[in-house]
Amino acid sequence: MAISPVYALRETGQNLARNFMLSFATIITIGVSLWLFGGFFLFNYAVDNATARWEGGIEFVVWMDPDASPEQDAAIASSLDQPAVSSWKYIDQAATYEEFKEVFSDTPEMLEVVTAEALPPSYRVVPTDPDADVVQEMVRQFEGRPGVRDVVSADKTIRQIQRTADDVSRVFLIGSIFLLVAATLLILTNVVSAIRSRGAEIEIMKVVGATNWFIRIPFMLEGLAQAMLGALGAWVGLYFLNTKVIEGLGDGDALELMRGFRVTDNEYLSTSFLVLGIAVAVSGIGSMVAVTRYLDA
Amino acid sequence: MIKLENVTKVYKGDVVAVRDATVDIAKGEFVFLVGQSGSGKSTFIRLLNREESPERGTIFVAGKDISGLGSWKVPYLRRNIGYIFQDFKLLPKKTVAENVAFALEVIGKPRHVIKKQVPAILELVGLAPKIDNYPHELSGGEQQRVSIARAFVNRPLILLADEPTGNLDPQTSVGIMKLLDRINRTGTTVVMATHDRGIVDTMRRRVIELDRGVIVRDQARGVYE
Repeated sequence: MAISPVYALRETGQNLARNFMLSFATIITIGVSLWLFGGFFLFNYAVDNATARWEGGIEFVVWMDPDASPEQDAAIASSLDQPAVSSWKYIDQAATYEEFKEVFSDTPEMLEVVTAEALPPSYRVVPTDPDADVVQEMVRQFEGRPGVRDVVSADKTIRQIQRTADDVSRVFLIGSIFLLVAATLLILTNVVSAIRSRGAEIEIMKVVGATNWFIRIPFMLEGLAQAMLGALGAWVGLYFLNTKVIEGLGDGDALELMRGFRVTDNEYLSTSFLVLGIAVAVSGIGSMVAVTRYLDA
Repeated sequence: MIKLENVTKVYKGDVVAVRDATVDIAKGEFVFLVGQSGSGKSTFIRLLNREESPERGTIFVAGKDISGLGSWKVPYLRRNIGYIFQDFKLLPKKTVAENVAFALEVIGKPRHVIKKQVPAILELVGLAPKIDNYPHELSGGEQQRVSIARAFVNRPLILLADEPTGNLDPQTSVGIMKLLDRINRTGTTVVMATHDRGIVDTMRRRVIELDRGVIVRDQARGVYE
Protein backbone atom coordinates (compact mmCIF):
# COMPACT_ATOMS: atom_id res chain seq x y z
CA MET A 1 0.00 0.00 0.00
CA ALA A 2 1.52 3.27 -1.09
CA ILE A 3 1.38 6.22 1.27
CA SER A 4 -0.23 9.28 -0.26
CA PRO A 5 2.32 12.10 -0.67
CA VAL A 6 -0.30 14.62 0.43
CA TYR A 7 -0.94 12.64 3.62
CA ALA A 8 2.79 12.17 4.32
CA LEU A 9 3.59 15.86 3.81
CA ARG A 10 0.59 17.03 5.85
CA GLU A 11 1.42 14.76 8.78
CA THR A 12 5.13 15.65 8.61
CA GLY A 13 4.27 19.36 8.59
CA GLN A 14 1.97 18.91 11.56
CA ASN A 15 4.67 17.04 13.47
CA LEU A 16 7.19 19.81 12.81
CA ALA A 17 4.75 22.57 13.73
CA ARG A 18 3.50 20.78 16.85
CA ASN A 19 6.82 21.24 18.59
CA PHE A 20 8.22 24.18 16.70
CA MET A 21 10.77 25.34 19.31
CA LEU A 22 12.36 21.90 19.67
CA SER A 23 12.34 21.45 15.88
CA PHE A 24 14.03 24.82 15.44
CA ALA A 25 16.68 23.99 18.05
CA THR A 26 17.32 20.69 16.30
CA ILE A 27 17.70 22.33 12.90
CA ILE A 28 20.17 24.88 14.29
CA THR A 29 22.21 22.18 16.04
CA ILE A 30 22.31 20.06 12.89
CA GLY A 31 23.26 23.10 10.81
CA VAL A 32 26.11 24.13 13.10
CA SER A 33 27.43 20.58 13.49
CA LEU A 34 27.36 19.94 9.74
CA TRP A 35 29.00 23.31 9.10
CA LEU A 36 31.80 22.43 11.52
CA PHE A 37 32.12 18.99 9.97
CA GLY A 38 32.25 20.40 6.43
CA GLY A 39 34.55 23.19 7.63
CA PHE A 40 36.98 20.57 8.93
CA PHE A 41 37.21 19.06 5.46
CA LEU A 42 37.44 22.37 3.59
CA PHE A 43 40.13 23.65 5.96
CA ASN A 44 42.13 20.44 5.58
CA TYR A 45 41.84 20.57 1.81
CA ALA A 46 43.01 24.19 1.80
CA VAL A 47 45.98 23.45 4.08
CA ASP A 48 46.92 20.41 1.99
CA ASN A 49 46.78 22.50 -1.17
CA ALA A 50 48.81 25.31 0.40
CA THR A 51 51.50 23.02 1.73
CA ALA A 52 51.57 20.52 -1.13
CA ARG A 53 54.73 22.06 -2.57
CA TRP A 54 56.52 21.64 0.77
CA GLU A 55 55.80 17.94 0.94
CA GLY A 56 58.37 15.23 0.17
CA GLY A 57 61.03 16.58 2.49
CA ILE A 58 61.63 19.84 0.61
CA GLU A 59 62.62 22.52 3.06
CA PHE A 60 63.31 25.46 0.74
CA VAL A 61 62.93 26.47 -2.87
CA VAL A 62 65.33 28.62 -4.89
CA TRP A 63 63.27 30.31 -7.58
CA MET A 64 65.39 31.36 -10.57
CA ASP A 65 64.65 34.17 -12.98
CA PRO A 66 63.13 32.72 -16.16
CA ASP A 67 65.86 34.47 -18.14
CA ALA A 68 68.75 33.45 -15.88
CA SER A 69 71.86 32.47 -17.85
CA PRO A 70 73.15 28.87 -17.96
CA GLU A 71 76.23 30.04 -16.03
CA GLN A 72 74.07 31.47 -13.24
CA ASP A 73 72.10 28.21 -13.13
CA ALA A 74 75.29 26.19 -13.02
CA ALA A 75 76.65 28.35 -10.19
CA ILE A 76 73.60 27.68 -8.06
CA ALA A 77 73.66 23.95 -8.85
CA SER A 78 77.33 23.84 -7.90
CA SER A 79 76.62 25.60 -4.59
CA LEU A 80 74.06 22.94 -3.78
CA ASP A 81 76.62 20.17 -3.98
CA GLN A 82 77.68 20.51 -0.38
CA PRO A 83 77.40 18.30 2.74
CA ALA A 84 74.72 20.55 4.24
CA VAL A 85 72.37 19.58 1.40
CA SER A 86 70.88 16.14 1.60
CA SER A 87 69.36 16.28 -1.89
CA TRP A 88 68.09 18.71 -4.47
CA LYS A 89 66.05 18.63 -7.61
CA TYR A 90 65.85 21.02 -10.53
CA ILE A 91 62.33 21.78 -11.77
CA ASP A 92 62.47 23.34 -15.22
CA GLN A 93 59.86 25.67 -16.71
CA ALA A 94 57.93 22.86 -18.39
CA ALA A 95 57.66 20.91 -15.12
CA THR A 96 56.69 24.09 -13.25
CA TYR A 97 53.97 24.71 -15.82
CA GLU A 98 52.65 21.17 -15.28
CA GLU A 99 52.44 21.88 -11.52
CA PHE A 100 50.74 25.19 -12.25
CA LYS A 101 48.15 23.48 -14.46
CA GLU A 102 47.41 21.00 -11.70
CA VAL A 103 46.96 23.66 -9.01
CA PHE A 104 44.79 25.89 -11.22
CA SER A 105 42.98 23.08 -13.04
CA ASP A 106 39.56 24.61 -12.32
CA THR A 107 40.59 28.17 -13.25
CA PRO A 108 40.83 28.06 -17.06
CA GLU A 109 41.25 31.83 -17.34
CA MET A 110 44.55 31.55 -15.42
CA LEU A 111 45.74 28.78 -17.69
CA GLU A 112 44.92 30.89 -20.74
CA VAL A 113 47.09 33.86 -19.79
CA VAL A 114 50.05 32.04 -18.27
CA THR A 115 52.60 30.22 -20.43
CA ALA A 116 55.50 27.99 -19.47
CA GLU A 117 57.98 30.72 -20.47
CA ALA A 118 56.54 33.09 -17.87
CA LEU A 119 57.11 30.66 -15.02
CA PRO A 120 60.40 30.48 -13.14
CA PRO A 121 62.39 27.27 -12.88
CA SER A 122 63.43 26.28 -9.37
CA TYR A 123 65.66 24.15 -7.20
CA ARG A 124 63.83 22.14 -4.52
CA VAL A 125 66.32 21.61 -1.74
CA VAL A 126 66.31 19.21 1.22
CA PRO A 127 68.92 20.23 3.81
CA THR A 128 70.78 17.58 5.79
CA ASP A 129 69.79 19.27 9.03
CA PRO A 130 66.11 20.27 8.99
CA ASP A 131 66.55 22.65 11.94
CA ALA A 132 64.78 25.95 11.16
CA ASP A 133 67.82 28.10 12.01
CA VAL A 134 70.10 26.00 9.78
CA VAL A 135 67.57 26.22 6.96
CA GLN A 136 67.36 30.01 7.37
CA GLU A 137 71.14 30.30 7.21
CA MET A 138 71.15 28.33 3.96
CA VAL A 139 68.36 30.47 2.54
CA ARG A 140 70.48 33.55 3.19
CA GLN A 141 73.32 31.95 1.19
CA PHE A 142 71.18 31.93 -1.94
CA GLU A 143 69.19 35.11 -1.56
CA GLY A 144 70.32 37.94 -3.85
CA ARG A 145 72.66 35.83 -5.93
CA PRO A 146 72.74 36.48 -9.70
CA GLY A 147 69.84 34.79 -11.50
CA VAL A 148 67.94 34.10 -8.26
CA ARG A 149 64.49 35.67 -8.12
CA ASP A 150 63.48 34.54 -4.63
CA VAL A 151 64.17 31.92 -1.99
CA VAL A 152 61.20 30.58 -0.06
CA SER A 153 61.64 28.28 2.91
CA ALA A 154 59.41 25.96 4.88
CA ASP A 155 60.66 27.54 8.05
CA LYS A 156 59.12 27.82 11.48
CA THR A 157 56.16 29.78 10.14
CA ILE A 158 55.12 27.00 7.81
CA ARG A 159 55.40 24.44 10.53
CA GLN A 160 53.52 26.72 12.88
CA ILE A 161 50.79 27.16 10.30
CA GLN A 162 50.54 23.42 9.85
CA ARG A 163 50.40 22.89 13.59
CA THR A 164 47.79 25.61 14.00
CA ALA A 165 45.82 24.22 11.08
CA ASP A 166 45.96 20.78 12.66
CA ASP A 167 44.76 22.17 15.99
CA VAL A 168 41.95 24.18 14.39
CA SER A 169 40.75 21.30 12.25
CA ARG A 170 40.90 18.99 15.26
CA VAL A 171 38.65 21.38 17.18
CA PHE A 172 36.31 21.52 14.16
CA LEU A 173 36.18 17.73 13.99
CA ILE A 174 35.73 17.05 17.71
CA GLY A 175 33.17 19.86 18.06
CA SER A 176 31.24 18.65 15.05
CA ILE A 177 31.20 15.03 16.26
CA PHE A 178 29.82 16.08 19.66
CA LEU A 179 27.24 18.28 17.99
CA LEU A 180 26.28 15.54 15.53
CA VAL A 181 25.67 13.19 18.45
CA ALA A 182 23.60 15.94 20.10
CA ALA A 183 21.72 16.49 16.84
CA THR A 184 20.96 12.77 16.55
CA LEU A 185 19.62 12.74 20.10
CA LEU A 186 17.57 15.87 19.42
CA ILE A 187 16.00 14.26 16.34
CA LEU A 188 15.28 11.17 18.44
CA THR A 189 13.72 13.34 21.17
CA ASN A 190 11.69 15.24 18.61
CA VAL A 191 10.32 12.11 17.00
CA VAL A 192 9.58 10.51 20.38
CA SER A 193 7.80 13.69 21.43
CA ALA A 194 5.72 13.61 18.22
CA ILE A 195 4.95 9.91 18.73
CA ARG A 196 3.77 10.54 22.30
CA SER A 197 1.66 13.53 21.39
CA ARG A 198 -0.03 11.45 18.68
CA GLY A 199 -0.49 8.34 20.81
CA ALA A 200 -4.27 8.27 20.34
CA GLU A 201 -4.00 8.55 16.56
CA ILE A 202 -1.35 5.84 16.42
CA GLU A 203 -3.51 3.51 18.49
CA ILE A 204 -6.40 4.00 16.08
CA MET A 205 -4.14 3.57 13.07
CA LYS A 206 -2.90 0.24 14.40
CA VAL A 207 -6.40 -0.99 15.25
CA VAL A 208 -7.83 -0.18 11.82
CA GLY A 209 -4.95 -1.86 10.01
CA ALA A 210 -2.44 0.80 8.99
CA THR A 211 0.90 -0.81 8.20
CA ASN A 212 3.96 -0.12 10.32
CA TRP A 213 5.60 1.79 7.47
CA PHE A 214 2.53 3.90 6.92
CA ILE A 215 2.68 4.92 10.57
CA ARG A 216 6.44 5.35 10.60
CA ILE A 217 6.98 7.37 7.44
CA PRO A 218 5.68 10.79 8.63
CA PHE A 219 7.88 10.53 11.75
CA MET A 220 10.92 9.57 9.71
CA LEU A 221 10.20 12.36 7.25
CA GLU A 222 10.07 14.75 10.19
CA GLY A 223 13.63 13.78 11.15
CA LEU A 224 14.73 13.96 7.52
CA ALA A 225 13.17 17.41 7.05
CA GLN A 226 15.01 18.71 10.12
CA ALA A 227 18.29 17.26 8.87
CA MET A 228 17.80 18.67 5.36
CA LEU A 229 17.01 22.14 6.69
CA GLY A 230 20.10 21.88 8.89
CA ALA A 231 22.17 20.78 5.88
CA LEU A 232 20.84 23.75 3.91
CA GLY A 233 22.03 26.08 6.67
CA ALA A 234 25.40 24.29 6.72
CA TRP A 235 25.73 24.71 2.93
CA VAL A 236 25.17 28.45 3.23
CA GLY A 237 27.77 28.58 6.02
CA LEU A 238 30.28 26.52 4.00
CA TYR A 239 29.77 28.75 0.96
CA PHE A 240 30.72 31.80 3.01
CA LEU A 241 33.59 29.94 4.68
CA ASN A 242 34.96 29.05 1.26
CA THR A 243 34.38 32.32 -0.59
CA LYS A 244 35.04 34.81 2.19
CA VAL A 245 37.53 33.13 4.50
CA ILE A 246 39.50 30.46 2.64
CA GLU A 247 39.69 32.27 -0.71
CA GLY A 248 40.45 35.50 1.15
CA LEU A 249 43.40 33.91 2.90
CA GLY A 250 44.79 32.46 -0.30
CA ASP A 251 44.19 35.30 -2.77
CA GLY A 252 46.84 37.28 -4.67
CA ASP A 253 47.55 39.68 -1.81
CA ALA A 254 48.13 36.91 0.69
CA LEU A 255 51.46 36.06 2.24
CA GLU A 256 53.67 33.86 0.10
CA LEU A 257 53.24 31.09 2.62
CA MET A 258 49.46 31.21 2.23
CA ARG A 259 49.46 31.12 -1.57
CA GLY A 260 47.56 28.07 -2.73
CA PHE A 261 45.40 28.09 0.41
CA ARG A 262 42.28 27.26 -1.54
CA VAL A 263 39.71 24.55 -2.16
CA THR A 264 39.09 23.18 -5.64
CA ASP A 265 35.56 22.93 -7.02
CA ASN A 266 35.69 19.16 -6.78
CA GLU A 267 36.75 19.31 -3.14
CA TYR A 268 33.98 21.81 -2.37
CA LEU A 269 31.39 19.68 -4.16
CA SER A 270 32.48 16.45 -2.49
CA THR A 271 32.36 18.17 0.93
CA SER A 272 28.84 19.42 0.20
CA PHE A 273 27.68 15.91 -0.74
CA LEU A 274 29.40 14.51 2.34
CA VAL A 275 27.49 17.00 4.51
CA LEU A 276 24.25 15.91 2.83
CA GLY A 277 25.10 12.26 3.41
CA ILE A 278 25.86 12.89 7.08
CA ALA A 279 22.54 14.74 7.41
CA VAL A 280 20.67 11.77 5.97
CA ALA A 281 22.59 9.39 8.26
CA VAL A 282 21.92 11.50 11.36
CA SER A 283 18.20 11.73 10.61
CA GLY A 284 18.05 8.05 9.70
CA ILE A 285 19.70 6.92 12.94
CA GLY A 286 17.71 9.31 15.16
CA SER A 287 14.32 8.61 13.68
CA MET A 288 14.82 4.85 13.18
CA VAL A 289 15.82 4.38 16.81
CA ALA A 290 12.80 6.46 17.85
CA VAL A 291 10.25 4.59 15.74
CA THR A 292 11.59 1.13 16.47
CA ARG A 293 11.86 1.72 20.22
CA TYR A 294 8.81 3.87 20.84
CA LEU A 295 6.42 3.28 17.94
CA ASP A 296 6.59 -0.43 17.29
CA ALA A 297 6.67 -1.28 21.00
CA MET B 1 -15.50 -17.36 11.11
CA ILE B 2 -13.62 -17.51 14.44
CA LYS B 3 -12.18 -20.68 15.91
CA LEU B 4 -10.08 -21.10 19.05
CA GLU B 5 -8.48 -24.46 19.79
CA ASN B 6 -7.07 -24.97 23.27
CA VAL B 7 -5.88 -21.38 23.49
CA THR B 8 -3.97 -20.27 26.57
CA LYS B 9 -2.66 -16.77 27.22
CA VAL B 10 -0.34 -16.16 30.16
CA TYR B 11 0.91 -12.72 31.22
CA LYS B 12 4.06 -11.97 33.18
CA GLY B 13 4.08 -13.39 36.68
CA ASP B 14 2.23 -16.52 35.54
CA VAL B 15 -1.10 -14.69 35.40
CA VAL B 16 -3.33 -16.87 33.25
CA ALA B 17 -5.74 -14.60 31.34
CA VAL B 18 -7.24 -17.29 29.09
CA ARG B 19 -6.87 -20.99 29.82
CA ASP B 20 -7.36 -23.80 27.31
CA ALA B 21 -10.20 -22.04 25.49
CA THR B 22 -11.93 -23.82 22.63
CA VAL B 23 -14.69 -21.95 20.82
CA ASP B 24 -16.20 -21.93 17.35
CA ILE B 25 -18.10 -18.83 16.24
CA ALA B 26 -19.95 -18.98 12.91
CA LYS B 27 -20.25 -16.21 10.36
CA GLY B 28 -22.99 -13.77 11.24
CA GLU B 29 -23.24 -14.80 14.90
CA PHE B 30 -23.71 -12.28 17.71
CA VAL B 31 -21.77 -13.39 20.79
CA PHE B 32 -21.66 -11.84 24.23
CA LEU B 33 -18.59 -12.40 26.38
CA VAL B 34 -19.54 -12.09 30.04
CA GLY B 35 -17.76 -12.54 33.33
CA GLN B 36 -16.38 -10.56 36.21
CA SER B 37 -13.63 -7.99 35.83
CA GLY B 38 -10.35 -9.83 35.29
CA SER B 39 -12.08 -12.91 33.95
CA GLY B 40 -10.26 -12.63 30.60
CA LYS B 41 -12.92 -11.02 28.36
CA SER B 42 -10.68 -8.23 27.09
CA THR B 43 -7.76 -10.61 26.56
CA PHE B 44 -10.09 -12.88 24.58
CA ILE B 45 -10.95 -9.97 22.30
CA ARG B 46 -7.35 -8.81 22.03
CA LEU B 47 -6.34 -12.31 20.95
CA LEU B 48 -8.79 -12.14 18.06
CA ASN B 49 -7.30 -9.00 16.51
CA ARG B 50 -3.78 -10.12 17.32
CA GLU B 51 -3.02 -7.44 19.89
CA GLU B 52 -1.93 -10.44 21.93
CA SER B 53 -0.49 -13.79 20.90
CA PRO B 54 -1.36 -17.03 22.66
CA GLU B 55 1.25 -19.08 24.50
CA ARG B 56 -0.48 -22.24 23.40
CA GLY B 57 -3.26 -23.22 21.02
CA THR B 58 -4.43 -22.05 17.62
CA ILE B 59 -6.69 -19.20 16.57
CA PHE B 60 -8.38 -19.15 13.17
CA VAL B 61 -10.00 -16.01 11.84
CA ALA B 62 -11.79 -16.21 8.50
CA GLY B 63 -10.17 -19.60 7.94
CA LYS B 64 -6.62 -18.39 8.56
CA ASP B 65 -4.40 -19.38 11.47
CA ILE B 66 -3.41 -16.07 13.05
CA SER B 67 -1.48 -17.55 16.00
CA GLY B 68 1.85 -17.39 14.22
CA LEU B 69 0.98 -14.57 11.83
CA GLY B 70 4.00 -12.45 10.85
CA SER B 71 3.84 -8.97 12.35
CA TRP B 72 3.82 -7.39 8.87
CA LYS B 73 0.62 -9.32 8.04
CA VAL B 74 -1.25 -8.21 11.17
CA PRO B 75 -2.44 -4.87 9.68
CA TYR B 76 -4.07 -6.76 6.81
CA LEU B 77 -5.86 -9.04 9.30
CA ARG B 78 -7.12 -6.00 11.18
CA ARG B 79 -8.67 -4.53 8.06
CA ASN B 80 -11.19 -7.35 8.31
CA ILE B 81 -11.91 -6.68 11.97
CA GLY B 82 -13.65 -3.58 13.30
CA TYR B 83 -12.94 -2.57 16.89
CA ILE B 84 -15.18 -0.57 19.19
CA PHE B 85 -13.75 0.87 22.41
CA GLN B 86 -15.55 1.52 25.69
CA ASP B 87 -14.15 5.09 25.76
CA PHE B 88 -14.77 5.74 22.04
CA LYS B 89 -11.20 6.96 21.38
CA LEU B 90 -12.26 9.66 18.95
CA LEU B 91 -9.65 12.17 17.85
CA PRO B 92 -10.71 15.47 19.43
CA LYS B 93 -9.32 17.78 16.75
CA LYS B 94 -11.06 15.97 13.92
CA THR B 95 -14.70 16.31 12.98
CA VAL B 96 -17.10 13.37 12.92
CA ALA B 97 -16.48 12.90 9.20
CA GLU B 98 -12.72 13.24 9.61
CA ASN B 99 -12.65 10.69 12.43
CA VAL B 100 -14.40 8.14 10.24
CA ALA B 101 -12.42 9.08 7.13
CA PHE B 102 -9.17 8.65 9.10
CA ALA B 103 -9.78 4.89 9.33
CA LEU B 104 -9.93 4.66 5.54
CA GLU B 105 -7.20 7.18 4.85
CA VAL B 106 -4.57 5.32 6.89
CA ILE B 107 -5.17 2.07 5.03
CA GLY B 108 -4.63 3.86 1.74
CA LYS B 109 -8.20 4.11 0.42
CA PRO B 110 -8.51 6.56 -2.47
CA ARG B 111 -10.08 9.94 -1.79
CA HIS B 112 -13.12 9.28 -3.99
CA VAL B 113 -13.90 6.09 -2.05
CA ILE B 114 -13.61 7.94 1.26
CA LYS B 115 -15.91 10.71 0.01
CA LYS B 116 -18.52 8.12 -0.90
CA GLN B 117 -18.29 5.77 2.09
CA VAL B 118 -18.10 8.26 4.97
CA PRO B 119 -21.46 9.99 4.44
CA ALA B 120 -23.08 6.59 3.80
CA ILE B 121 -21.90 5.06 7.06
CA LEU B 122 -22.80 8.22 9.02
CA GLU B 123 -26.27 7.98 7.52
CA LEU B 124 -26.44 4.35 8.71
CA VAL B 125 -25.54 5.26 12.30
CA GLY B 126 -27.90 8.25 12.28
CA LEU B 127 -25.28 10.99 12.46
CA ALA B 128 -25.56 12.55 9.01
CA PRO B 129 -26.69 15.90 10.45
CA LYS B 130 -23.62 16.05 12.69
CA ILE B 131 -21.02 15.25 10.07
CA ASP B 132 -19.06 18.47 10.71
CA ASN B 133 -19.33 18.50 14.50
CA TYR B 134 -16.37 17.84 16.77
CA PRO B 135 -16.49 15.03 19.36
CA HIS B 136 -16.87 17.44 22.29
CA GLU B 137 -20.06 18.73 20.67
CA LEU B 138 -21.64 15.25 20.80
CA SER B 139 -23.33 13.23 23.54
CA GLY B 140 -21.76 9.99 24.78
CA GLY B 141 -24.15 7.92 22.69
CA GLU B 142 -23.39 9.96 19.60
CA GLN B 143 -19.67 9.60 20.20
CA GLN B 144 -20.07 5.84 20.43
CA ARG B 145 -22.00 5.89 17.15
CA VAL B 146 -19.07 7.66 15.53
CA SER B 147 -16.78 5.00 16.98
CA ILE B 148 -19.04 2.29 15.49
CA ALA B 149 -19.10 4.11 12.15
CA ARG B 150 -15.29 4.22 12.17
CA ALA B 151 -15.10 0.50 13.00
CA PHE B 152 -17.63 -0.48 10.33
CA VAL B 153 -16.81 1.93 7.49
CA ASN B 154 -14.44 -0.57 5.90
CA ARG B 155 -17.19 -3.22 6.05
CA PRO B 156 -15.19 -5.71 8.15
CA LEU B 157 -16.19 -9.37 8.48
CA ILE B 158 -15.97 -9.20 12.26
CA LEU B 159 -16.81 -6.48 14.76
CA LEU B 160 -15.18 -6.67 18.19
CA ALA B 161 -16.63 -4.49 20.92
CA ASP B 162 -15.03 -4.17 24.34
CA GLU B 163 -17.77 -2.96 26.69
CA PRO B 164 -19.20 -0.48 24.16
CA THR B 165 -22.01 0.55 26.51
CA GLY B 166 -19.85 0.74 29.62
CA ASN B 167 -19.78 4.55 29.61
CA LEU B 168 -23.40 5.04 28.58
CA ASP B 169 -26.73 5.29 30.37
CA PRO B 170 -29.23 2.41 29.88
CA GLN B 171 -31.43 4.25 27.41
CA THR B 172 -28.51 5.28 25.21
CA SER B 173 -27.13 1.74 25.50
CA VAL B 174 -30.32 0.36 23.98
CA GLY B 175 -29.82 2.60 20.95
CA ILE B 176 -26.24 1.42 20.55
CA MET B 177 -27.29 -2.23 20.81
CA LYS B 178 -29.97 -1.69 18.16
CA LEU B 179 -27.30 -0.31 15.91
CA LEU B 180 -24.97 -3.27 16.56
CA ASP B 181 -27.90 -5.63 15.95
CA ARG B 182 -28.58 -3.92 12.65
CA ILE B 183 -24.95 -4.28 11.64
CA ASN B 184 -25.03 -7.95 12.68
CA ARG B 185 -28.01 -8.51 10.39
CA THR B 186 -25.85 -7.49 7.42
CA GLY B 187 -23.86 -10.70 8.04
CA THR B 188 -21.13 -9.21 10.19
CA THR B 189 -20.01 -11.38 13.09
CA VAL B 190 -20.16 -9.42 16.36
CA VAL B 191 -18.24 -10.36 19.51
CA MET B 192 -19.00 -8.08 22.43
CA ALA B 193 -17.58 -8.10 25.94
CA THR B 194 -20.04 -6.66 28.42
CA HIS B 195 -21.07 -6.31 32.04
CA ASP B 196 -24.54 -5.13 31.07
CA ARG B 197 -26.95 -7.73 32.36
CA GLY B 198 -30.01 -5.97 30.92
CA ILE B 199 -28.70 -5.96 27.39
CA VAL B 200 -27.66 -9.62 27.46
CA ASP B 201 -30.94 -10.75 28.96
CA THR B 202 -32.97 -8.68 26.50
CA MET B 203 -31.18 -9.67 23.31
CA ARG B 204 -30.95 -13.40 24.08
CA ARG B 205 -27.97 -14.18 21.86
CA ARG B 206 -25.13 -16.63 22.33
CA VAL B 207 -23.35 -16.08 25.66
CA ILE B 208 -19.82 -17.22 26.50
CA GLU B 209 -18.98 -16.83 30.18
CA LEU B 210 -15.40 -16.63 31.38
CA ASP B 211 -14.22 -17.18 34.94
CA ARG B 212 -10.52 -16.62 35.71
CA GLY B 213 -9.69 -17.29 32.08
CA VAL B 214 -11.71 -20.48 31.75
CA ILE B 215 -14.83 -20.78 29.60
CA VAL B 216 -17.39 -21.98 32.10
CA ARG B 217 -20.48 -21.54 29.95
CA ASP B 218 -21.23 -21.38 26.23
CA GLN B 219 -24.97 -21.01 25.73
CA ALA B 220 -27.01 -20.28 22.62
CA ARG B 221 -29.72 -17.63 23.26
CA GLY B 222 -28.37 -17.27 26.78
CA VAL B 223 -28.77 -14.85 29.64
CA TYR B 224 -26.20 -13.03 31.76
CA GLU B 225 -26.07 -15.78 34.41
